[in-house]
Amino acid sequence: MRGVSKPVKVKITYCAECGYEPATLELTENLMKEFQHDLSAIEIIPWFQGAFDVRVGDELVHSMYRDGGFPEYKTVAEAVRAQLAGED
Amino acid sequence: MAVTRERFNQGMTYDEFKGWMTRNRDRLEGYEGNVEISPEDLAAFKDLSHPLDVLVIGSDWCYDVLTNLPVLGRLAQESGKLNLRVFDRDENPDLRDQYMNGPYQSIPVFVFFDENFNEIGHWIERPKSVTNLRAEKRREVFTTTPAFGSPDAPVDQLPEATRADLQRATSASREGTVPWANQEVIRELRELVDRGLKEQERRPLVAGNVQS
Repeated sequence: MRGVSKPVKVKITYCAECGYEPATLELTENLMKEFQHDLSAIEIIPWFQGAFDVRVGDELVHSMYRDGGFPEYKTVAEAVRAQLAGED
Repeated sequence: MAVTRERFNQGMTYDEFKGWMTRNRDRLEGYEGNVEISPEDLAAFKDLSHPLDVLVIGSDWCYDVLTNLPVLGRLAQESGKLNLRVFDRDENPDLRDQYMNGPYQSIPVFVFFDENFNEIGHWIERPKSVTNLRAEKRREVFTTTPAFGSPDAPVDQLPEATRADLQRATSASREGTVPWANQEVIRELRELVDRGLKEQERRPLVAGNVQS
């Protein structure tokens, strides 16, 4: 454990009709393996219209509409580390 | 730079594209099976005096490709007059950059060439009418249920029960629109080909959900 000051939750909203499941599961698996119990939860939300959004705590780290494409894993991981360290 | 026949022939056939897909082939083939083509529309393509070459820019992760490419695929299969070559958007930047949708790299792109390999027009993403209908239905969903809040608000911030209601309402609003959307694709492609072939000056036409 890293001495978490408050719970950090990751939400992944993905387009369920676009075939984004592999990208969703890959991101989830990487987060699970790296952060284990340091994350309070990972929530996966099936949505529509080409969505692929990743929120870490209150911060929208990636939005396919806003940023285009899928996120780099390191971008999400760095956001998680920052929040675990209380840098948000 | 204009696409050459040699470059065109480097693309995948429709069946090769299906074999190339690493995801969503089942979805694409499911959509393909549901495409209905009227005898009149089919005759319009069957009666073309010469087969047309159709360059497709797509990929296997895009919903608009998964739903609209099968419409073109069925037209090609059943008419015998459309010779498709498919290119992955991300592996072919020369083609992608040539058929940008304003600032966007929208797909699918369908580019039609006549027997002399002159471009007679191209089509991007989806019909504007389909985009407009989806937006209208989305507005209706939010208007009829104030608890859903703003259409621009992130859905992951909604209470879970409200979000589930919004999921159901959104699904319901989209049901029944697919056959109509397919028909709109066919209508636009038919008009594009018809007008393009009649163009005396061979000026390329643009259709679909194109940014102005």
